[in-house]
Amino acid sequence: MSQYKIIFTGPVGAGKTTAINSISDTPPIKTDAAASDMTKTRKNSTTVALDYGVMNLPGGEKLHLYGTPGQERFDFMWDILVNGGIGLILLLDNTRSDPFVDMKFFLETFDKFIKETAVAIGVTQMDLSDKPTIDDYHVQLRSYNLQFPIFAVDAREKADVSLLVQSLLYSLDPELEG
Amino acid sequence: MDNIKNPLKVALHGMDARSGKMMAMYLQGPCKGMAIVVAAANADVDIFDADSISGRQLLNACHAKDMHRPIIAMSLNQLDYAQVIAIKKPVKTDDMLAALATAKTMLGAAGGTPDKLNQNHRVDQKVAKDEAISPAASRPEASKPITDAAEEKPVLKRYVLDRGELKKTSKHKAAMQLSETGFGAFIGIVPGLDVNDPKQFKQAHYDPKEYFQGYIDSAFVTCHSLAQESQLNTGWMPLIIFPKSHEVWLDADDNQLRSFSGLVINPALGKKISVTPISRDLARQEKALEKYQSMDAFLWKIACWASKGRYPVNIDISQPVYLKHWPNFTRLLVTPHALRISALLVQGPRTLPSIAESLNIKPQYVFVFISAAYSLGLAGQAKRESDILSKPPEVKPSKKHGILGRILNKLIGKKAS
Repeated sequence: MSQYKIIFTGPVGAGKTTAINSISDTPPIKTDAAASDMTKTRKNSTTVALDYGVMNLPGGEKLHLYGTPGQERFDFMWDILVNGGIGLILLLDNTRSDPFVDMKFFLETFDKFIKETAVAIGVTQMDLSDKPTIDDYHVQLRSYNLQFPIFAVDAREKADVSLLVQSLLYSLDPELEG
Repeated sequence: MDNIKNPLKVALHGMDARSGKMMAMYLQGPCKGMAIVVAAANADVDIFDADSISGRQLLNACHAKDMHRPIIAMSLNQLDYAQVIAIKKPVKTDDMLAALATAKTMLGAAGGTPDKLNQNHRVDQKVAKDEAISPAASRPEASKPITDAAEEKPVLKRYVLDRGELKKTSKHKAAMQLSETGFGAFIGIVPGLDVNDPKQFKQAHYDPKEYFQGYIDSAFVTCHSLAQESQLNTGWMPLIIFPKSHEVWLDADDNQLRSFSGLVINPALGKKISVTPISRDLARQEKALEKYQSMDAFLWKIACWASKGRYPVNIDISQPVYLKHWPNFTRLLVTPHALRISALLVQGPRTLPSIAESLNIKPQYVFVFISAAYSLGLAGQAKRESDILSKPPEVKPSKKHGILGRILNKLIGKKAS
């Protein structure tokens, strides 16, 4: 049976665990633990290893949803994780001091994977901090000569996460028909 | 082999126990045991995570004092510290090995044994006691805050203090995704016009200025230039516009709004429509929070209802149109095939009929999407010669077309055929 996966990445507290939870068919396996350092100021728990969820597709196929750990930034882990992935969902937390730095970091880190597949970007916490705006993100992306879907996302809302993943799929193939 | 026999002893700073454990595994695994993590008091080298608040503070403090042993600092950003060995994140094994080798060379050049250096070491007693990651501290049960949360308050941006802001459900609610089935009833039709008939394409346009859309658009421009709350008086429901927060407030439901948006405004009535600046206090007075909407979402749906499946009159249907970037679909009315159209158009300008043809969809779905995107300034006629002369890029179906389609159907809740 074929196995497929989508990777959710982004900084600490961006909502990766919650987003996976929103669209997973089974309760996701969480590896969160109480946060004890800088992450404590942003959320009460943080992802130690990986988050994992699954979407059961017709015919018994499965789409695996993997969340990268938010803290550890060691490339060897991420290389393993993205291997064979369909595409990338990047979640950014708009309350962080400089979300553009985060965006640049993750786009550069996953550059090879994105070139081979596609990425869709969700900006969370916009109800708490409305700057930068979605337009600002597009301007920033244009300065890198990039153009990706960027949506304001409430990771708790299945509809938001679903639309974000749909945009990823259409970026891979606009001729897809639902 | 020498690395394994005599690994560098490193102390970690600005990392919590889990990051420290990960780092220890990293040094042991990919870095082939060139260094081991020890308590700060016994270390030869200090490694800082300069992106954590405590890490940066400790690095600054350590650097400001006489450096008695090599420092390695990891950061996303360029670091500008004399004598500090900087590693750019994401940490690559080669970079870490090179940094450790440099640190080892520095230790050798200093002519001291680690023990001797440690006697002189004054990184910071507090670091050694509370904040450095020691092997013991990397045990889960030993996990504890590096510093008090109070000491670690990050520099955050201004947050919304008014909790009422979060109750503006219309403003923040997720998008409504329209299917083909519900489209006609929701968007409406123009009697006597078949917008999907190529022979009638030339007539399948509308002038936004003749509808509520045009007056709203004009009012938004006025409000932004005044930078003041204003009221649009139409003889129907007053629309309050908040240019600073990019919101509107209207005491009407979508059914009422749809009816009004679909009507051509009589020119005599149009002359009476006005925009009046109002005081902030008056504008904010006793407003039902659920009736606030974002300007963009409001204008987008008004354009959909005015369009009724037609395209804006300023668009030449025989010439390509561009899409500046993906619309923020999670906060907009998602018309049928809007995501597909966006994915296609961001690849390059196309004519409206060619979009419908490429995607094998009814032209009305392209027209309504372009009307909405045009209202927000996201879509327009391609004017650059290169856009017009160059052929639109060929759409290449993905090799994973089948599985992508199955995932999509799962997401939109469509059963497999």
